[in-house]
Amino acid sequence: MMRNTFLIARREYIERIKTKAFLVMTILIPAIMAGSLYLPGIFVSRMSSAAKHLVVAVSDPQTGEIIRRQLEQVRQEEQQERQEIEQKEPQPRRTMPQASRFTVDMDTNTSDAERASLADQVKQKKLDGVIWAPREALAAKRVTFITRDVSSFEENSQIQMSVARALQRETLKSKGLTDTEIDNAQSLVLVAPENPSGGGAGDFKTTFFALVFLITVLYVTVLLYGINVMQAVLEEKSSRVMEVMLASAKPKELMAGKILGVGAVSLTQIGIWVLAGVVFASGGLIANGAELAKAISLRTVLFFVVFYVLGYALYSTLYAAVGAMVNSQQEAQQLQQLVALPLILPLLMLSYIVQYPGAPLSVAASIFPLTSPLIMFARISLQIPPWWQIGASIGVLVITIYGIVLLCARIYRVGILMYGKKPTLPEIMKWIRYA
Amino acid sequence: MYTIELDKVRKAYGQFVAVNDLSFKIEQGAVFGLLGPNGAGKTSTIRMMIGITAPDTGEIRLFGQPFHRQHLNNIGYLPEERGLYKKMKVLDQLIFLGELHGLTAAIARQKAIDWCKKMEISEKLQSKVEELSKGMQQKIQFIAALLHDPDFIIMDEPFFGLDPVNATLLKDVLLELKKQGKTILFSTHRMDQVEKLCDSICLINKGVPVLQGNLKQLKSQFGKNNVQIGYEGDGSFLEHNALVGSFNNYGNYVEVQLAPGADSQQLLRMVAERSRVNRFELMEPSLEEIFIEVVGKNDA
Repeated sequence: MMRNTFLIARREYIERIKTKAFLVMTILIPAIMAGSLYLPGIFVSRMSSAAKHLVVAVSDPQTGEIIRRQLEQVRQEEQQERQEIEQKEPQPRRTMPQASRFTVDMDTNTSDAERASLADQVKQKKLDGVIWAPREALAAKRVTFITRDVSSFEENSQIQMSVARALQRETLKSKGLTDTEIDNAQSLVLVAPENPSGGGAGDFKTTFFALVFLITVLYVTVLLYGINVMQAVLEEKSSRVMEVMLASAKPKELMAGKILGVGAVSLTQIGIWVLAGVVFASGGLIANGAELAKAISLRTVLFFVVFYVLGYALYSTLYAAVGAMVNSQQEAQQLQQLVALPLILPLLMLSYIVQYPGAPLSVAASIFPLTSPLIMFARISLQIPPWWQIGASIGVLVITIYGIVLLCARIYRVGILMYGKKPTLPEIMKWIRYA
Repeated sequence: MYTIELDKVRKAYGQFVAVNDLSFKIEQGAVFGLLGPNGAGKTSTIRMMIGITAPDTGEIRLFGQPFHRQHLNNIGYLPEERGLYKKMKVLDQLIFLGELHGLTAAIARQKAIDWCKKMEISEKLQSKVEELSKGMQQKIQFIAALLHDPDFIIMDEPFFGLDPVNATLLKDVLLELKKQGKTILFSTHRMDQVEKLCDSICLINKGVPVLQGNLKQLKSQFGKNNVQIGYEGDGSFLEHNALVGSFNNYGNYVEVQLAPGADSQQLLRMVAERSRVNRFELMEPSLEEIFIEVVGKNDA
């Protein structure tokens, strides 16, 4: 039993490692991931590195002056902050979008014609933006920012912040406060989350990024390799190698060998990714590497592997049964999507889990075996849940895998010898009942 | 000593009975034909022999013992549905299949190289299977079934799709294996092909055995009922003759089916008296004719 399973797994492993597909996947998946996470950041910072030319249109030149000062000051504050951080940790924060440098002109003509002409200049790229803040707009507390890029989140929120602060400053000044007093009043207090045992959560944004990154990798690999098992079974069935194999191996051995072989390939691939990640991050070659590494602790990596192995075992077994049931890629399609459904669910639930990791729904989803690999892992990497919940999650998962393996082995055993039409559900039930 | 014994074996898939009450034994060193039309239950029978499926009732004994998976290392099986890993190299593939049958990698390699030489395909050892022609793939498949030197060889439609040259090569190898004392089972619906090779047969139809035993005995049981006569002269004596059941005049010769119980020697004397005989031959019925006769009788 063991020897055949080993031989089959070894063949699967060697043949797969040798393929170009393996090489491409190993490089491509992290490249796409990294690309989707970091490219926009790099792009934005490139775009905003040039000084932007803005015009502030105000009725009162004094107000305009304060807004102008505030906007140009942003750059200095940002640099100061950066220096402070760099003193604490030498990693350059390359991809943090840099604050825009603004050169600001003032315009006290607030006629409609002037507004139209300014808007036109923005359109013709002679100006980068116009802050339209005449007296009426200020009274209504609604200032317009005319820009070609209305969806640039970073920049627009910076303008929002600066204009709001400037107007606050003006009000406070009129109450007789000094600049220092105003600075003091305006400086934000940082609220740092800390868990009961004293550990800090780190930067929330980075934690969230890391989580999304890991969950996506987990989802993609479980799905990808599960489907790989299905295709391997289907291929053996349609090329009729199955018949030859059955002359010396049991269906159970074939199924186990397939799952273990493909699983070993996937672990090799994940191993390469982790290794590459460590090398690049420690070498500072990945932007934000150090931060990401801080957010992804050894514990997280360990649990990633645990839940990957369990998730893969569950889904690849289901996919092996699907492969045995069908006769062609087309037939496989529908069933394949059906199996993937409970795997997609956790992705949709992710934002809820992040907000309420301890809520009953989150706890239930992290113990329910079809969603638990992803959800429990998400909870663990956010904030370590009670140990009994982790235990329950893994326990239920292991028991389910055992049951699914028994069930699918029966479907597999009959399915691999069935050619021709796709079986109906009652037929599959009959297969399961065969002795 | 029997290589395999089937005792009242039955296998049903739901309502469909694939094999019903099938019993036969194959002596060690014999060449046995499992014959029958498509869908007769041949492949179902073979699958039970090698433990892919289990019989519902009845017993199968291999090499004198109840079925055990260990026996599979001593059985070579060429399935009707040929299949190999297309992307794998020929040598790697043969080593892998040899290892699955219990050989060590080193021995499997050596045997694969020897067999490929014998089958005149040595130059393809490092090619991928998908690069080979259909006939070459057949050879590889054939080698895969024989690599581990099994004592019991099962060939399901072995000549299907082979050109005459390769069919002869295959036949010679099989005869050589027979000389070595191996037991060979052919399963086919092409009865003319195995007729020349088999010692004994089992004819099945719709899952039921309709005829079995030693091929020569079976033929004599059924046969020698037809006579081909070549003669010069008047042939009218064949009409209204008590010895003749029916006859067919082909011009150059007449084929006569003897009346039940009629003696062919009597007919010969009669023909000799009335004409010049240049040929008088007792015809053995072909397996196909026997099959049609038996099945026709059963169906009627």
